[in-house]
Amino acid sequence: MADIALTHAPETAAELRHARMLSAGARCALPVAILLGIGFAAPLVAILGYAFATPRSFDVFRSFTLENFATLFNPSNTVWLSFLWSCGFALSTVAILAVVAYPIAYGLNVVFGRAAPLISVLFVFPLFVSENVRLYGWVLFYIKNGVLDGTLKWLGLAGGPEVLFTPGITLFGMVYTYLPFMLFPMTLGLALVPRDLVDAARDLGAGRLLIWREIELPLAMPGILIGMLLTFVLAIGATAEAKILGGQSIIVISHDIEIAFTYSQNWPLGSALAVVVTAFIGGLTLFALSKLDLDRMLGRR
Amino acid sequence: MLQTLPTEAALADAPPKPILQLVGVRKTFGSFAAVENIDLDVREGEFLTIVGPSGSGKTTLLRMLAGMDTPSEGNITLHGELINDVPPNKRPTCLVFQSLALFPHKSVGENIAFPLKVKGVDAAARKARALELMRIVRLPESYHDKNVMKCSGGERQRVALARALAYDPEVLFFDEPLSAIDYKLKKTLEKELKDLHRETGKTFIYITHSLEEAMVMSDRIGVMRAGRLVQVGTPEEIYGAPVDRFVCEFVGEVNTIRVKRGPDGLWSGVDVPGSFKVAPPQDGAALDEAFVVVRPEFMRFLGPGESADNRLEGTVYNEYSLGSRIQYQVRVEAKGGEKVMLVELSRARALPPGADPHVTLGWDAADAFTLES
Amino acid sequence: MAGISRRSLLKGMGTGLGALAAAGPLFNSNKAFAAREKELNILCWEGYNSAQVLDPFRSKTGATVKAESLTNDPTMINRLRAGEINTWDLINVNNPWARKVMLPEKLIKPLPKAEFEPFFDKMLPEFKAPYKWAMSDDGKDLIGMAQRFGPYSFVVNTDKVSRKTAEEVGWDLFNDPKLSGKYGILESDDWNVFNIFIVAGIDPFKVHTPEELAKFEETAKRVFKGAKLIGDIASMNQALISGEIDLHLTGGTYSVSPARADGHPELRAITPLKGPLAGGKGGISWIEITSTVNNPNLSPLALEFLKYVQAPDVAHTVAFAEGTFNPVAQMGNKACFDLFTKEELDAIQWDSLEEEMARSVEYDIVPNYDKALDIMNAAKRLRG
Repeated sequence: MADIALTHAPETAAELRHARMLSAGARCALPVAILLGIGFAAPLVAILGYAFATPRSFDVFRSFTLENFATLFNPSNTVWLSFLWSCGFALSTVAILAVVAYPIAYGLNVVFGRAAPLISVLFVFPLFVSENVRLYGWVLFYIKNGVLDGTLKWLGLAGGPEVLFTPGITLFGMVYTYLPFMLFPMTLGLALVPRDLVDAARDLGAGRLLIWREIELPLAMPGILIGMLLTFVLAIGATAEAKILGGQSIIVISHDIEIAFTYSQNWPLGSALAVVVTAFIGGLTLFALSKLDLDRMLGRR
Repeated sequence: MLQTLPTEAALADAPPKPILQLVGVRKTFGSFAAVENIDLDVREGEFLTIVGPSGSGKTTLLRMLAGMDTPSEGNITLHGELINDVPPNKRPTCLVFQSLALFPHKSVGENIAFPLKVKGVDAAARKARALELMRIVRLPESYHDKNVMKCSGGERQRVALARALAYDPEVLFFDEPLSAIDYKLKKTLEKELKDLHRETGKTFIYITHSLEEAMVMSDRIGVMRAGRLVQVGTPEEIYGAPVDRFVCEFVGEVNTIRVKRGPDGLWSGVDVPGSFKVAPPQDGAALDEAFVVVRPEFMRFLGPGESADNRLEGTVYNEYSLGSRIQYQVRVEAKGGEKVMLVELSRARALPPGADPHVTLGWDAADAFTLES
Repeated sequence: MAGISRRSLLKGMGTGLGALAAAGPLFNSNKAFAAREKELNILCWEGYNSAQVLDPFRSKTGATVKAESLTNDPTMINRLRAGEINTWDLINVNNPWARKVMLPEKLIKPLPKAEFEPFFDKMLPEFKAPYKWAMSDDGKDLIGMAQRFGPYSFVVNTDKVSRKTAEEVGWDLFNDPKLSGKYGILESDDWNVFNIFIVAGIDPFKVHTPEELAKFEETAKRVFKGAKLIGDIASMNQALISGEIDLHLTGGTYSVSPARADGHPELRAITPLKGPLAGGKGGISWIEITSTVNNPNLSPLALEFLKYVQAPDVAHTVAFAEGTFNPVAQMGNKACFDLFTKEELDAIQWDSLEEEMARSVEYDIVPNYDKALDIMNAAKRLRG
């Protein structure tokens, strides 16, 4: 009975009696379970419900149709373009971040020494400022007669490059925004590599490249993969960069969802799109986690 | 301060040539000198153990020899060539870490073959050599594909050893690899290491804080204290002719009596009343005050009619079994109270049960060391 | 499992979640039947939710006043449709929605005519009672109050494109290949649907033929492809000021007035002299109508508030609420008009307001809006 009472607040006298029969543990867990139910599960269930509702209606849980999904998978619907762009941006962000964050993570672990905590804080600090504010900051930096262009002109140079409102700057914005989410798991991953192992490999004749390939990289891989997964999931759902820095030169998938919920006022279609994207990301994540056995990589099994 | 030892002259007819030479080696961290002015010749093919308490600088010394640290001052030469700044991967030396530093994501075979992979040896040859080394270190062939983290402590030691041997170094360093091993296994591994040393003929430099370990395996022992090499010699020399009280006490429990020489040239006790016959110090220094150090195993109980150079009256109040030997704790009269003296006897010479606890201790001057106070 | 069948459980969850989804951010559907003398909830465009407007009312009445601003009409109306009718007391949207949509759907209810009609007499001449958009279709009921209004077509930087050129060439500016990459588009998609139709030479406020929709699609693809950026009002103004763009589609006094007030008089809302709209008019204007929601337990403060914003000083505050500056109908009252400084009149382009309103048709509903919007959204995706 416990599972039922947990997902459904008791209403009738009979249900109340059942609720009283719960074990002490279940009763103590009830507030948290209810909170989780309302705060976490309910919105997801609502989205799922809307995904199967009549298009452009609010008949959630009162209608059932697959029309929304049919619309999405209709070949004439160009929403796949947004999806491809989002995937492309996310993959590029992950790839660039892996290359950019690795040396910093290595530095934080090995090179910077006592300055490392301070440098870490510098990377965390931007997270205290709203993402939109930071992105508008970059707009002011790159805009015509802005910080970069203005300074270069003042120095008598030709002026800054015209990069604003392009897909490239969108990617830059995503790399910038998600750097900490790659950097810190990676730093942790690298911190898990015992110095002795690196010393031992070197002592056994290995050069830097070989040590990196044979020892550091495989042993830091759990952290690196967590960072990659985290940044991929965040980046595939990113909109602010494409909107603010990219000037909507690209419509990304979550922007499409947003349009469906606002101007289009087609909640069912937006929900169906959200369900498809969530299922895709969830499936991909589970697949990745099942293929990448962290225990085995760490030699625990 | 090169340690010239009397026995070196005796060995002069066949002096093994030095493979590693340290001259005035010093390592400082800020204002702290971890290693201070070390001179040492390591002979080719010998098993040299550096022993000292923790913080004595022995690990720093080893890291410099392995190339993981560079000396602040002084020279390290290998076959006469300066190697101060040669990185570890360019040295024909190999270190077995205290942590063993096995690669947790690799199998036993992959761990052992790692140095071969570095050298570009092909896979088949790597496997053949790995299996050969596994035989040498007594690991079953079936372990080749076993995950190294699933091996027991002793097995891991053997993997680490085999991996170091796979590198085929001229000198092998060991940084207390047996410190975390239980006693029985440690004894086995000590003997195996000694055998391996003999079989391979390579130069072994071993670091430990346990003199017992050093005594079992080493050809020579160097004792370190506060960054300095206090004494280098064979186990017998370290045991039989310690240069100072530190070395002496490091070797094992000792009885110490402070003595001073009177105007008549006779020695009398400072803490224990009485006059003593004292051998001249080994370095021939003329002392007016000294410590007389007697190892418990050189003390004996004197029966009626038995004689010794020195005697003390005391009362046995405790006895400990040390396996084949028994240690007695004896209270003797001392200025300002009592002093405990230790006597160790083989079981064959043990006091009979119910014997009179009032005993007479005796030792000969030649069995005691006279050291600067 | 005694006592609960799976079916009743699902039903229970369904209704629970339905209520949850409908309750909205204020989550006070349970209070629907509680006394509401001391609370007022307003769903509005940006401006009415500012502290400058609300705080005096709060202190005057001691009430808890909540206002949520949204940036398009359909979203607000759908909030009422989704069940928030019990939550809101006032809704402030563009002119046609009250008369054509919300009243027939019973989302709003009429105002006491005798009490509120006299306010129209003090408004600008075109708002004199009976004012079309404030009345029900049959002309019997007064269904809302007018206040802010303005022309809304496009905005140019007159240093780059003169006012004369902009007014004369009009919407064809966006058909000019030379200006490709030099204009932006405000992300106000309902207006963009209107304006893409107009750029295509089609009247948006009628039922369209497939040929017209094809022309619309072609125009949407081309105009969006040629846009340097799409963004919000702040992004547009910033891009105009910095020189990233010379003009932007969709915009008017509502969007450009903050930049003008901020010392950029060269930026100007333009109403073309002619266009494909009814009567050959060149632009579209909007008039906000604020109506009382058909809330079964409407707060008595709703009517209080509607009267409160008619006062000259409050009307002036509404006109210059933070974020956007607009003319208000109450400027027909000299007491109100005199409160506007010369700078403020400049910001809202008072000099040409009358003629621009005369050149504009009033905001209306596009019959096939959903279809057109889908076409436009697809066209946007082809930008990249």
